[in-house]
Amino acid sequence: MWAYFKFELTQFIRNKKNIAVYVILLFLACFYAFEMAPSYKPIERVDAREIESRYLVREAFLSEFRDNPDRFSGMAGFGLAIYPEWNRLEKDRLDALNTGDYIKYSEATSGWYVYSNNFTYNSDFFSYSPGYYSHGNLYAEDDGYYGYLYSASRYKGYAEGKSELSLNVFEERTALQTVQRLLESYLPLILMIGCIFLTVDIVLKDRLNPTILKGFPISDWKKVVVKGFVALIGSIGMVLPLSIGLIFIGINYGFGDFNLPVPIYTLGEDVAIFLKGDFVNIPMGHYLLENFMLIALIFIFLISLILLSSMVIKNEFANLVVGAVFITNEVFYFKRGIGYWHEVELYPTNYVQVGQILSGYRNYIYGSSQLILNNGLIVMGISSLVLVVFIFIISKIKRYKLI
Amino acid sequence: MLELKNINVQFSGRNILKDINETFYPGEIIGLVAPNGTGKSTLMNVIMNYVKPSKGTVVVNENLQYTSKKNEVKIHQIVSMMPDQSDLYNHLSGIEHLRIYCSMWHSDPSLIESTINALNMESYVKKKTGTYSLGMRQRLCFAMQIVSNTPIMLMDEVMNGLDPNNVDIISKILLKKKEEGKIIIVASHLLENLESISDRIFLFKHGQLINVSDVSSGFGKNEITTVRVREMADEVNNKFLNEFPETNIQSLANGISLIDVTDFNVEQLAEIVVFLKENNQTDFSFGNVTLNDMYSMYYLGGK
Repeated sequence: MWAYFKFELTQFIRNKKNIAVYVILLFLACFYAFEMAPSYKPIERVDAREIESRYLVREAFLSEFRDNPDRFSGMAGFGLAIYPEWNRLEKDRLDALNTGDYIKYSEATSGWYVYSNNFTYNSDFFSYSPGYYSHGNLYAEDDGYYGYLYSASRYKGYAEGKSELSLNVFEERTALQTVQRLLESYLPLILMIGCIFLTVDIVLKDRLNPTILKGFPISDWKKVVVKGFVALIGSIGMVLPLSIGLIFIGINYGFGDFNLPVPIYTLGEDVAIFLKGDFVNIPMGHYLLENFMLIALIFIFLISLILLSSMVIKNEFANLVVGAVFITNEVFYFKRGIGYWHEVELYPTNYVQVGQILSGYRNYIYGSSQLILNNGLIVMGISSLVLVVFIFIISKIKRYKLI
Repeated sequence: MLELKNINVQFSGRNILKDINETFYPGEIIGLVAPNGTGKSTLMNVIMNYVKPSKGTVVVNENLQYTSKKNEVKIHQIVSMMPDQSDLYNHLSGIEHLRIYCSMWHSDPSLIESTINALNMESYVKKKTGTYSLGMRQRLCFAMQIVSNTPIMLMDEVMNGLDPNNVDIISKILLKKKEEGKIIIVASHLLENLESISDRIFLFKHGQLINVSDVSSGFGKNEITTVRVREMADEVNNKFLNEFPETNIQSLANGISLIDVTDFNVEQLAEIVVFLKENNQTDFSFGNVTLNDMYSMYYLGGK
């Protein structure tokens, strides 16, 4: 079996299509590092001028009304009630930024986001940062709510943690934070597409060399297991070309560290205000490890799915379609909030957006509390096991020929 | 030991292999002769379990049969089939192919070097097989099977594309492997060569395996059993039958007539020589029935 593994691994590494996959990933990583990362504009930026502007406007209002009680009206009263604290936080942020005291800035900013959110969500008078109000976004308020409390939690973590802080850390530009952001964006999809392309011909390529391979003294079951294992190693190996891009990002913006806080949205028993959940910070290392575990398990599921398709349908295009259906299926039924009525945690296709699952964002938009790591591991694990059992049964059928 | 028990294979209602019962023993080279498409490769595929017979079983070492996937693996550790040269990986070198086969069958790695030397492959074995000529590829395929070192070896068209020198080299290696106690089944169209190395030769006719020794008393004997006459005219033929009514004569499609002179004494042989000379048939020779003759008899037709 070891000899067959070495043979398959050699074939895999020398496969031109596989080399192309790695080269494309390397190109994408470098393109991201040199073109997209520098132009990244976070919605929640560290912008002293913006803070100062808000502070001065409110301060002018306060001074106007404090000194002219005759002009007092209902809404002005509301402003007089809430602006002093808001502006205190703004002032603390501004002073901390000017003195370079990032711990103090983090404390004040965390408080600012909580305070701002309390008066902005469902408010007719205040709005979140403009970035949430993109064209066609019907859920800008909810996204703002999520973004503000996410930021509040993050800054609280910075203030309480021991990580070295910088403006790049605040804007999540460091290499590890970029990975975190990409995991909650397109990275899982790219990795899964890569996994599909790496696996799509791992069984069917043997049809090109039948007389060399058919007589190998190794069973079909072991052949398939070895092929699956090689595909898994190759899929995990996609990290290598992507790391090159991250190194460039790290050189430009810092690497960050594994203790940086990653806010996780949870909807526990103790439901916070607005009937929504709250955020709990976990260390970056922990978060990345969770992502690795779930992505690896999804790789195993995808590889098993394509191996089974290769054994039954025996067509590479069909393998591509089967893989593509898995990773795109959620698009066809996803609706915000359906997790309230449906047990969305039971569908394997709901775990494709790995980073969003583990950060809790998927729970937030599904209105569920069950799209979590444990359920993901159980659902994907059982699904993979079912596929592996099918592969085992088929490979043991006496008349079945793998090649 | 390799036993074929009542093997039947049908494709589209046509009998490709029919009631084949044969046993092959260690230390034997078995030659298979037949035109293309008559079942040689199918028989080998049945032995490898690549083709399921509609009836019958293959038994290896007295008790191993293709009754389960587990047994198939066990049998493939014992029986190997020479790969086809068109299936080689063009991006791998010859030596990489040899290493793959050596490691898959856990054979002695020193076999790689000795086989390369024996087949004079040193000059090209490290180059990618995509650059090889047909003969080089064929030698590599042969070397791969030799390196696998299985007790039973099946070789389909092993001499394809080889020059006489390499045919000779491979023949010597086959004889050496035979001495080591291997069962080697060779299908080839180089009939003279096959005749010289094989212990038993089988022809395929109507899906059946026919041992040439059973159909021609003169085949393979070290005595004069046949007079081979080239381009014998019909009237001479008839005249011969009148003069020697007890003697069998067979005209082959390749223009050769075989006169069966088994157990003839010198005087009888002399009478035949005189007859042929008197009838201006000067292109004749004494000997025994060759595989070429048998091939002509069976597959090219004759009277």
